[in-house]
Amino acid sequence: MTESVSKLIEELKRLGGRVEEVKDREVYLVVGRDNLRSLAKALYSTGAYLKTCAGVDERQVQGVLSIYYIFGLDELGVDVVLRVPVTEDDAKIPTIVLEVPAADWCELEARDMVGVEITGRPVRRLVLPEDWPEGIHPLRKDFDYSARPPRRFRSELPEEVGVPLGPYHPALHEPEYFELYVDGEKVVDVVYRGFHVHRGIEKLAESPRFTYKQIPFLAERICGICGFVHSSCYVMAVERAAGIEVPERAEFIRSIVLEVERLHSHLLWLGVAAHLLGYDVGFMHAWRIREHVMVLAEYLTGSRKTYGINIIGGVRRDLNVDKLDRILKTLAKVREEFVKLVEVMLSVPQIKLRASGTGILSRSEARALSVVGPVARASGLYRDIRKDYPYFAYREVSFKVPLYTEGDNLARVLVRVEEVLESIEIIKQLVDKLPGGPVAVESWDVPPYRRAVAAIEAPRGEDVHFIITGVGKPYRWRVRAPTYQNIPALRAMLRGASLADAPLTIASIDPCFSCTDRLVVYDLRTGSRRVLRIAGGVSACPL
Amino acid sequence: MSLVKILEIALRTGRVTRRYPVEEPLLTPEFRGSIEVDPSKCWGCGACTKVCPSNALTLTPSGKGLVLEYFVGRCVFCGMCAEVCPAKAITVTKKFELASKNLRDLRSRVVHEVLRCSVCGAPITAEAEVRAVVKVSPITEEYVALCPRCRKERFTKSVALRIGASSGPS
Repeated sequence: MTESVSKLIEELKRLGGRVEEVKDREVYLVVGRDNLRSLAKALYSTGAYLKTCAGVDERQVQGVLSIYYIFGLDELGVDVVLRVPVTEDDAKIPTIVLEVPAADWCELEARDMVGVEITGRPVRRLVLPEDWPEGIHPLRKDFDYSARPPRRFRSELPEEVGVPLGPYHPALHEPEYFELYVDGEKVVDVVYRGFHVHRGIEKLAESPRFTYKQIPFLAERICGICGFVHSSCYVMAVERAAGIEVPERAEFIRSIVLEVERLHSHLLWLGVAAHLLGYDVGFMHAWRIREHVMVLAEYLTGSRKTYGINIIGGVRRDLNVDKLDRILKTLAKVREEFVKLVEVMLSVPQIKLRASGTGILSRSEARALSVVGPVARASGLYRDIRKDYPYFAYREVSFKVPLYTEGDNLARVLVRVEEVLESIEIIKQLVDKLPGGPVAVESWDVPPYRRAVAAIEAPRGEDVHFIITGVGKPYRWRVRAPTYQNIPALRAMLRGASLADAPLTIASIDPCFSCTDRLVVYDLRTGSRRVLRIAGGVSACPL
Repeated sequence: MSLVKILEIALRTGRVTRRYPVEEPLLTPEFRGSIEVDPSKCWGCGACTKVCPSNALTLTPSGKGLVLEYFVGRCVFCGMCAEVCPAKAITVTKKFELASKNLRDLRSRVVHEVLRCSVCGAPITAEAEVRAVVKVSPITEEYVALCPRCRKERFTKSVALRIGASSGPS
């Protein structure tokens, strides 16, 4: 623990925080709800980002309902976790959205899922569907994972005229819903309604059949594009909570596969962006190049997607000489073809003109909303979890973090383009330095009621998993996907923009709705224009 | 200008799409497809069902036997079952063309005979598992053929006799 961290802890103590636990990468403090706002303000104004907050029903172990506020101090690489406990009879916590605008969603989610009332702000349902009965909170421990409460339908009819976009995404085929309020061609305001495909994965993990060992496979299915990020982040959280030392070789293999995943994800996105701008030739070539990466992923892991090689304590697949050779050959080919394609793509007038100056997210707005990943880096925020909180083998490699200050769609394109090239260099270095030894620990044990925060730089930005261990399985497993943090920024990007630029702008955050949503909502309803069409089934990101 | 350049790339690359199913599908040697359970090797121990993340493998009593069922419709092709199988009865194949008009085709079963307690007749476990256990551990077949309750009873009786206490009202 460095001096600056101890200084910060002293300051937080002075403001009313009580230190519960100090670990290498995390500091846990208990805070009374009356002191929460001043502590949150102190943290946020000193440059901490809000990673997420998590409602936890701790009545079985501590007799309270709690909200954990996870703040990340990027410069120090330390997470500060504030736990605010309240009793069930008086479950009220004041809002921190004025001090920390990024807390908007996670406060509402904790209210929906755990039933802690948030005071001092307008509240609405975020995650739970409209027809979910009042007073039933799915993440309370006395709510059975397989319970299906009776539904009740409420209807509200507002006055304004809206332009509905969705619930199917204009770019990716995923259910979501944007209401764009327009004045002529100009977007005046945006209302987002998501969580149509919330699958209740956090609750499902509480079902009897899931143990520590099986959840990596469940976590991997949170997202169809960056699934390996989620399984890695889950195993990292458990390993940190339990103090499991993972063999170095396994950490290298995980890092290599994570970068392979980033390559395919960025190539996919680049293709989608070209398609949205009416440049389908670019789309086809981007995906053609991506195919080399997909085949490589299958050769390394056994599957094109949902690789399934992460287990607690290591990985299930080793790399041999043939595989390493194949990695280098594929990367050389991908790099050569990618550089050529990008050169052509960026010289196409419709791409350059339509991407530059549209969907601008200013640095201050990006900071206030704690946006992550390429969106943050395109708006001048130097944030990359691989640098700020080095994990796995990222300490062993050198790479550049692309940074742009324009904050427009073109900047977000360019950040991703450069990241593809950086990823290729990272993998080469990892292959070169790959140490020998085993790829998994022989055995491990997870003591109950330990906590850990794990974060990984996904292609879309920082992915956060927070875990409280239990007996044989996690007591609470909280997932915060990157898109969760970036969607609120769309409002800032779209306001004042032209309607025609909306699809590209929405796509420019590389949204992944299934990652963000985690509960099943079915039923198809039509009615007034405001009543949301809730799409059926569970959709995954396009593979 | 960009048109000429992209045309050049396209012409040099040529056709990349494989004419599947006329041509062979592109599969790497590491590909994991559906699994196959060898009934002659399977013990019916159920280790695979415990590790299966998606409930594709289930072990349920059915009639007089014990049925290990593999439902490929739920399978996520992780291959964890093959890794834990103590009998090496599960192989991960490269099969991926699994669609069928008949739901039955998606289920395959291994039916096991159940060993019953030689004293009270209660079902113990799959016969194949008992045979495998007897092979590797130094216990008698007579002892194995007792259900856990009868074993406990026999044990308490023998202890009681040894310490000279009465074995209770009989």
